[in-house]
Amino acid sequence: MNILNWATGLHGYLFVGAAMFVLGLIGILSRKNAIGILLGIELILNAAGINFVAFSKYRTASIDGQMVALFIILIAAAEAAVALAIILRLYRLRETIDAAEANLMRN
Amino acid sequence: MNSANFANSLQGWVGIGPIWVWALVSALAVIFLLALPFGGFATYVERKIAADMQDRVGPNRVGPYGILQFIADAVKMLGKEDFIPLGCDKFLYNLAPVLVVMGACAAFAALPLSKLLMGADLNIGIFFLLSSTTLIAPGILLGSWSTANKWSLLGGLRAAAQIVSYEIPVALSILPVILISGTLQIGRMVELQGWSWAAEGANSGHFWNAFHNPFTFVAMILLFIGGLAETNRIPFDLPESESELVSGFNTEFSGMRFGLYALAEFADVFVMCAMVVALYLGGWQLPFINLENLWVTLPSGLIAIIQLSMFLGKTFFLVFVVMWLRWTLPRLRVDQLMGLCWKGLVPLALINIVGTAAWMWIFKGQSIAQLVYKMAAR
Amino acid sequence: MSNGLKLVLFLAEILTLGSAVLVALHPNVLYASVALLFAFLGVAVMFVYAGADFIAGAQVIVYVGGVTILILFAIMLTQWLYKLNLREIPGKILLPILVVGVAVVPALYKVIRELTAFIEKAPPTDLEKFSSLPKTSVIGQALLTNYVLPFEAITILLLGALVGAVWLARPTK
Repeated sequence: MNILNWATGLHGYLFVGAAMFVLGLIGILSRKNAIGILLGIELILNAAGINFVAFSKYRTASIDGQMVALFIILIAAAEAAVALAIILRLYRLRETIDAAEANLMRN
Repeated sequence: MNSANFANSLQGWVGIGPIWVWALVSALAVIFLLALPFGGFATYVERKIAADMQDRVGPNRVGPYGILQFIADAVKMLGKEDFIPLGCDKFLYNLAPVLVVMGACAAFAALPLSKLLMGADLNIGIFFLLSSTTLIAPGILLGSWSTANKWSLLGGLRAAAQIVSYEIPVALSILPVILISGTLQIGRMVELQGWSWAAEGANSGHFWNAFHNPFTFVAMILLFIGGLAETNRIPFDLPESESELVSGFNTEFSGMRFGLYALAEFADVFVMCAMVVALYLGGWQLPFINLENLWVTLPSGLIAIIQLSMFLGKTFFLVFVVMWLRWTLPRLRVDQLMGLCWKGLVPLALINIVGTAAWMWIFKGQSIAQLVYKMAAR
Repeated sequence: MSNGLKLVLFLAEILTLGSAVLVALHPNVLYASVALLFAFLGVAVMFVYAGADFIAGAQVIVYVGGVTILILFAIMLTQWLYKLNLREIPGKILLPILVVGVAVVPALYKVIRELTAFIEKAPPTDLEKFSSLPKTSVIGQALLTNYVLPFEAITILLLGALVGAVWLARPTK
């Protein structure tokens, strides 16, 4: 039962949050596909949300962390909509969503 | 039932025994006692109503009036060959129907069947209903993609676009009720809709929300239309439109997987109608009568049965309207569908919110019924 | 909390982590986005257990009903639908893992250890009361009092994002 107590307390939340952050970072760095990069960003935003909610309960026992988590969710939604619109545009212009191919501004 | 959040309500609701056993038991009970029989029976009713409207007889072979037809259908579906089309994505093909059924069945947990009989009167009740039904759209989209059939994929894309768009007017037309009752808890919302001539003035609730003020009546109609579109029913059945897309997103599904899709659709229709009933048509409340405050005290079991039959009666009436519309209205085109949502329903829903807020401010939250009662008393 | 409830949370955490691994490493982007859906659901369960029921509902509605659908849409609209080049080269993943493992993980480890030690020295007194408090009305009041400025800023941001997304994705002439 020890690991259960450890995982369901503050440690568990922070561990999951940190792991999601790291995995999101790996996803962003390793993928060439623009949508794949967006998936990594979503993971990182969710990891931040987990941390805020966990601290809201275990550190302050007040609503403030949850408010920030709510704003994170809203911002993530707006960001996803704009990012996907950009990806669609990129696909129309270059017929690819490979992030490395979007190099019109280089040189 | 005081339920502060999910975990607490689960705890209070179960009492003894390991909690996960009870959670599992109640989940299975919801599926086998509510969702499955309703989904099955609705297929029979739909065929019977269709037959009546077209002057046919309809299913009449299995059991009296063919009433056991749906059991025969289920046995047939289970006995069919488990056919997986070549070139389909097996994992998603198996996952998609499960997602859809999960979304439809989870919503049953929060339906207010009667004052006492309610899976969980969650603090975020109506929010939970909305969020559990969101699982349906990814299920349909993934399922349609996995079958490697372009008609299916077109249907799936249509379904996803339609569900996502119509979620907005649905959510917006729920807001007036939240404004009136000041809570997201469905049980409390239904309680506030009680009203009787005998009870005293303002503290006895404000009659059904649909008749709270003119705006809420329009909001109820908008919610019903949005619900029709979200459950892919005619006149909004573009994802399945059989004259252009074979059978839409479920073309390549056979046997019990197709059965699951059909079941989830009917369960979803039931949830949508139950939502309209609970929010706008008084839920389990009898019109003009308060059962707990009569000149005779009824046994609580009888009250529960009356309330349950009230709720189911109203819901089944709306389900009947849904089926009735199916044989009355032609299907919309895609551009008409989106135009109706963004140019018709969304602006109207916004006007309803502002109008309800103005009404609440001018008449200090009193409904038409309460105002009439005050005038009569004076 | 009873052990059964803890077990549910534990399973949700495992689901979240497993799905997150798939999101980061699965070579097929479509499967990665399906895994992302389950990661969102797992995170929503974790939110419920941290006493954030309203946030959990918002998480499911916005992420599962909105973001996941958008991503699936984008995948299906931008790639050749079947036999698509959604796959990534598997060998490329080693370098990012190495970089992140060396640069980020030790720092995170140290921060988490110090933070948990610091918080467990002086835990908040009304933790149980906070968990069972209905959050919806509190959040509503906070949005219109302490958080009214971010709330208004968010509304402008959402409007801007809406208009911008429509403008970006408009059909080309």
